[in-house]
Amino acid sequence: MTDLLQLVVDGLIDGGAYALIGLGLSLTFGSLRRLNLAYGATAMLAAYLGAWLYATQQAPAWLVAVTVIVAATLIGWYVERLCFACTTQDATQARGAPVAGADGREVVALASSFAIWMQLEQLAVNLLPRHLNAFPSLAVSQDWQLGELMVRPDRMGLAVMAAALTLGLAAWLERSRIGLSWRASADHRIAAHLVGMPVERLQTVGFAAACALSGLAAFSILSLDGQVTPMFGMWALLKGLVAAMLGGLGSVRGVLWGGLLLGLVESLAQASFGAQGREFASYALLFVVLVAPWRRSRERFLATAVPG
Amino acid sequence: MLEIQELATAYGKIEALKGVSLSAKAGQVTCLLGPNGAGKSTLMLTLAGILKPQRGSVKFEGEELVGRAPAQIVARGLALVPENRLVFPALTVRENLMAGAYKRRDMAGIRSDIDAMFVRFPRLKERIEQLAGTLSGGEQQMLAVARALMSRPRLLLMDEPSVGLAPMVVAEIFSIIRQLHQEGVSLFIVEQNAHMALKVAQHFYLMEQGRVSFSGSPGQMADDDLIQRAYLGQQRPQTVES
Repeated sequence: MTDLLQLVVDGLIDGGAYALIGLGLSLTFGSLRRLNLAYGATAMLAAYLGAWLYATQQAPAWLVAVTVIVAATLIGWYVERLCFACTTQDATQARGAPVAGADGREVVALASSFAIWMQLEQLAVNLLPRHLNAFPSLAVSQDWQLGELMVRPDRMGLAVMAAALTLGLAAWLERSRIGLSWRASADHRIAAHLVGMPVERLQTVGFAAACALSGLAAFSILSLDGQVTPMFGMWALLKGLVAAMLGGLGSVRGVLWGGLLLGLVESLAQASFGAQGREFASYALLFVVLVAPWRRSRERFLATAVPG
Repeated sequence: MLEIQELATAYGKIEALKGVSLSAKAGQVTCLLGPNGAGKSTLMLTLAGILKPQRGSVKFEGEELVGRAPAQIVARGLALVPENRLVFPALTVRENLMAGAYKRRDMAGIRSDIDAMFVRFPRLKERIEQLAGTLSGGEQQMLAVARALMSRPRLLLMDEPSVGLAPMVVAEIFSIIRQLHQEGVSLFIVEQNAHMALKVAQHFYLMEQGRVSFSGSPGQMADDDLIQRAYLGQQRPQTVES
């Protein structure tokens, strides 16, 4: 029983990290209805810049953190300009009720963000060619003993931060004027223009903010390992994507539940079937959620929700 | 109040507006009639700043609107109730109204205006926390009107407010139009329902194939002929072949 409880706690704590990495991805999808495949690579290149600063300049951890977040924001802005700004609905060509992706521009955005992914990853590997690179460590080696349970306080802190950030952001988006305009622009671009919202600016800023979050997530997660490898970009994209999709792509609160669920399932699967079972379980879970019957009612709602 | 001169808008190479000139007077209901594809909605989207015209001018209270962003146009007192309503489907009724007041900063005024909207549209009050996408077509149309009114426009543009609605709802929409007119709001309405439109308008224009082909007051032209042209366009000379 204690073992099971320990697995659940470990899983939920891992899930916090997944939620954190998925948050930016879900935000991007929520505002643009576009999948940013360069998301993981953005976080990775930013992390590599931080690692480079750490290795060559002996930069302190806080400076590395600032560097990673700022770099992720700037790289995100570059990705947005290159892949997304020109492929989102152009106001001057919109007619009637535009439905996102009706004209194939989303595929262009997807393909070009894949190309940028490769470009950013190559840049990172050229910057630090070794497979394993040092990253400032904030790991705490002493475990907390809570009754029968063992909890790593640093990982616990990360999970709590992820939960607070996700729920706080969701509440802010629901209550603030900026949040309303951001959701409105995502919901219907033309209508948002008509009520006087600066749609393009909102989306650029939203995209950059999502990438800043990816930088924060990258620093937080990597600082627990004290190292970074070229696999980080792929890892961040996959885990973030699964967490975001489990919670419903575009839903800010959903990504927290999605991340926690993913962590939980992975933890239990690893205990039962080993490391390979862990990977298998997460994709099986994604598959089940994607084809599950309750999706139908959501699609029906979406069909009636989009006018025209 | 609104002066449109030689306005031309194209989609790529297809010119939808081929030099339109018309005007709307303050305090009046002006109606633009015309068949499908005449360019009526193109005109409305151009006025709102969503489409950019190739040439021509739009003066609102003496100020040029061509080249301005939609946000600036709303801020100057022009609001569009678009064709197909275009409410925010995933936002609640209340949030839709808040979004309509985006350019305003007076929270107290916004709140009292929302209350005023619920007096005007009691059906919306019942659905205040409901997502706009789940409303019926008529309710969405009321919400679209209310959202546009939230910006406190001096001129309200309405693009086909009756399209796709049941006759009773259409009557309701037109009674709201009459009410707004009595309250002193200037309206510029695009309609296919010429029969209803001619009852509320003081002045009307007929638009065919990207041009204004007729203008006058209701009753000036035989209504039957006008209604036929509004629905079907100008009759071609009859050619009888075998």
